[in-house]
Amino acid sequence: MGADTTTDTATDTSRSHVRAPFAPWDRRDLPGSFDVAETARRVGNYKWTEMKLFEALGGWVATVPELDIKMRLGTHCYRHAWHAELWHKRLPELREMKPERLTAPANDAMERFVAAMTEPEDSGLTIEKLVGVYRVLIPRFIAAYTYHMNNTSEITDAPTIRSLKFALQDEFDDWRDGELMLQSLIKTPDDVRRATEHQAALEDIMVEAGGITGPGSIGPVQ
Amino acid sequence: MRQFFPVEDLARDDRFVQTNMAERMSDTRSAVDLQRTAKSRGASNRLTPDRHDASDAARSLMHGIMVGEIQALEGAGRTAHDFDAGDGSEGTIPFELKLDMARQAWDEARHVEISVKLSDWMGTEIGQFQENTVLFEAACSNDPVLRLAGVNRALEGLAIDVFTQMKEFGQLADDPFLEFCEDWMLADEVTHVKMGSDWLRRVTENDPDRRAKALDFQRVVDKLFSFGGARGESEESPIGLARRFRELAGFTDDEVDTIAGMDHDALEERKEVVRLARETADV
Repeated sequence: MGADTTTDTATDTSRSHVRAPFAPWDRRDLPGSFDVAETARRVGNYKWTEMKLFEALGGWVATVPELDIKMRLGTHCYRHAWHAELWHKRLPELREMKPERLTAPANDAMERFVAAMTEPEDSGLTIEKLVGVYRVLIPRFIAAYTYHMNNTSEITDAPTIRSLKFALQDEFDDWRDGELMLQSLIKTPDDVRRATEHQAALEDIMVEAGGITGPGSIGPVQ
Repeated sequence: MRQFFPVEDLARDDRFVQTNMAERMSDTRSAVDLQRTAKSRGASNRLTPDRHDASDAARSLMHGIMVGEIQALEGAGRTAHDFDAGDGSEGTIPFELKLDMARQAWDEARHVEISVKLSDWMGTEIGQFQENTVLFEAACSNDPVLRLAGVNRALEGLAIDVFTQMKEFGQLADDPFLEFCEDWMLADEVTHVKMGSDWLRRVTENDPDRRAKALDFQRVVDKLFSFGGARGESEESPIGLARRFRELAGFTDDEVDTIAGMDHDALEERKEVVRLARETADV
């Protein structure tokens, strides 16, 4: 073999390391629906609502007589606290150096929703407690998180997407737990009436609020 | 939902039968009767498999652990709920402390799951023994710092002692299932005590009076948890004081000595009560 051949081989090897910055299977794109300020606003709404949820779940543990549900509420309490922590830590990365400033409900209706959801305390109101969380609030979390994940920039806002994925996995798991608990509790026509009436009352307020981040929670307001 | 939740309203299903510390201590049947136990248990009252009543005593203790974990779960959940996030003043607690309380609620929920399964393993049914609500009472203070002292340091400290005893019981009884589970719960409790010690120090950093008040409250709760000498370093006490694990959890030697002293005094007081009761009965 001659010297030229050796040189060609070296060049070929070098060329083999030249790769496109985005592999063919990597279809992530730059454009996203939310700028930094809008992302921070939404994240602040998430944190406030997750906080209210974990506080409610923690407070309700002592008020429910069903032992299996008592234990589930304790478990879910931590998951939502962890989501609140994720959002709390994300806010300074979004130029909000005082996370408390943006830790707020989307609007007055959202605040009223949380007050109405956390109002049941009596030990005989487990159905009402679970309906508010698992049939109204958590489905709204799943909707808002999914919309955000699918519409934010996959490159510039990757840290938010990562947190959304973790949170969404928990939300789906918790929703399923909650639905199973509710189905096991709802046994009579009166139970059905209690569940549906309470759900309707809470949905009315939630619709007025427009979702976790207000109007636009799951898309541009028409 | 109310901000603070009274112990009388704790929600339970129909299987549970509740009592409180005053009722329990006024029941002379629960006394450490050394004359009688010395005959049947030998020189030591420690909960070991060779005691003739070991099976019942272990089942009773496991049931006590289970209801204690339920109350610890409820207490942690309430602390996550009852106080707004803030700088620690005027009835607020730091956001990170609320997160730690939520984490503790999850840990205690797992402990309930573990102790329910262990109770079943040991042949105990839920509600077979009374539930003493003293643990939740310690978690009811309106001052979050007192809750840290009463729950995380006194109550969870007691849990360290109890789990260490049960782990040893599992070892001696050749029950690896029991030993395995107790060891896991012990690890969590050491974490909770350390968490409570750290937060107590941080929240009261610039308020020595509040810290002193909290530590006074802890001593009151620790004395309650001496259960008339049921916990202590004396071999007359069924549950030992787990010095090594308490040290890991951040207790100083002086603090453990103080608790040991209170346990000893409580045992002597109880013995005196029993002696007087027996004399009165003889009369």
